[in-house]
Amino acid sequence: MSFQKQLSSGEFVVLAEMNTPKGVDISEMVTNARKIKERVDGAIIPDMDNGVMRMSALAGGVLMRQQGIEPIIHVYGRDRNRMAIQGDLLAAHVLGIQNLLVVHGEEMSYGDHVDAKPVDDLDELGIIRAIQSLQEGVDMAGFDLKGSPNFTVGCMIKPFADDTALDQELEKAQGKISAGAQFVIFPPVFDLERLSAFVQKAKSLGVPIISTVFLLKTVGIARYMATYEPGVFISEDLIKRLRRAPDREMEGVILAGETIKALRELCQGVRIVTLGWEHRLPAILDYAGL
Amino acid sequence: MITAERKPLDEIIDYIKPFSRILLVGCNECVTVCAAGGRKEVGLLSSALQMAFMKEGKVLDVKELTLERQCDPEYVEELVPLIDQVDAVVSMACGCGVQEVAKRFKEKPVFPAVNTKFMGASERQGVWAERCQGCGDCVLGMTGGICPVARCSKRLLNGPCGGSSNGKCEINPEVDCAWQLIWDRLKSLGIEKTYEEIVPAKDWRTSRDGGPRKIIREDLA
Ligand code: SF4
Repeated sequence: MSFQKQLSSGEFVVLAEMNTPKGVDISEMVTNARKIKERVDGAIIPDMDNGVMRMSALAGGVLMRQQGIEPIIHVYGRDRNRMAIQGDLLAAHVLGIQNLLVVHGEEMSYGDHVDAKPVDDLDELGIIRAIQSLQEGVDMAGFDLKGSPNFTVGCMIKPFADDTALDQELEKAQGKISAGAQFVIFPPVFDLERLSAFVQKAKSLGVPIISTVFLLKTVGIARYMATYEPGVFISEDLIKRLRRAPDREMEGVILAGETIKALRELCQGVRIVTLGWEHRLPAILDYAGL
Repeated sequence: MITAERKPLDEIIDYIKPFSRILLVGCNECVTVCAAGGRKEVGLLSSALQMAFMKEGKVLDVKELTLERQCDPEYVEELVPLIDQVDAVVSMACGCGVQEVAKRFKEKPVFPAVNTKFMGASERQGVWAERCQGCGDCVLGMTGGICPVARCSKRLLNGPCGGSSNGKCEINPEVDCAWQLIWDRLKSLGIEKTYEEIVPAKDWRTSRDGGPRKIIREDLA
């Protein structure tokens, strides 16, 4: 069943984030994809995530299709103007990519090409409106298209540290949904009780909510996130659990698997983020019972 | 200097429609030189607005004041005695001035009466042209004193493109090809060799692309 059908039928979807290589050696990406092919419902392909130059998501999406995995590719405005975005969207449709995730590109200064000129012609809402327009057969300049594309479009909820910030995020998401977004992706929240309350609140959006499960690779990362990203709600107990584990790396994997299991009751899907540790996905899925 | 052009009257009227007392503030610097928002333009706009209100059977009370510099908080203070007597402020300064006034008087709506255009120079009476984009890392030393970032339509740093013809730009035949100007100038200075140097991809961090900029001079601050 396609991702879109699963979403509309209310089924729980499991999505794995798969990064493209920095270079043309696709062997690792392809090998990792093959290992999870029958076990996930789709792969999310980030595009120049965190401002790091890599093979573009369009090619990554096509590669995933070739491996038999349904791709969902990132679309963002930092590096492309409205011409390039629209052109790539038409290309995506023709190449069989049916799902888009409209995201905010990380600031150039945080990436690896700090001297590059950002474009920022369209913001996330602008991109979603452009997608709608293309689907209606007209480009942003009002010209008719010869054949129009068709997409399932999602948007992101940025990390929020409290209810007020969540309210603001929900308001923004509501605007994107009115413009055409059909699902939202929540940031990682490790405190499931809190997440449950947040998701309950976000149900007012009226679209499927997919939560992020973030693989904690090291105790250091967990500690960093706990300190600098209060919205993830990583408790001291959780850090202790990781620190005391005989195999800390495996403990992170187990934790991710357990979280996925628990999320089945809370939302309509998960996005598993491993940030380059896609080879750990099969183990995470094992622990999630998938 | 910073150049500007007055906004269409209808747009300004739209802003101030709900009010009956406004403060119209000009600036004695750049916008005076490019005849967009100096004392004279303040007077003209004031009459035009009052007449437009009269036609609608309404009265508009306009207080006029032209500051030495609207981008300087020190001069903006001069508006203090007038601010309580008005409902809104209309600024005829560039965007910098409008924002200084808005920052100072948080409780008053402030509207722009001009469109700020570019940093440029006067070519002849009544004609101003763009000269600088404030990229923050001046290349004029390599390009014979002619800026390709501001004056080449494609911002080429290794120009010209294939479209330069008879010294004019392919984007607009009214515009001189910046790279023709650069070449001519380098030749007349006898330093054509400079042209052969390949300019690497520009670091745009120093430009607006790196986010809003600020200068801090420790020796003056
Ligand atoms: S013709 Fe000259 S000014 Fe115009 S885009 Fe080409 S190089 Fe630049």
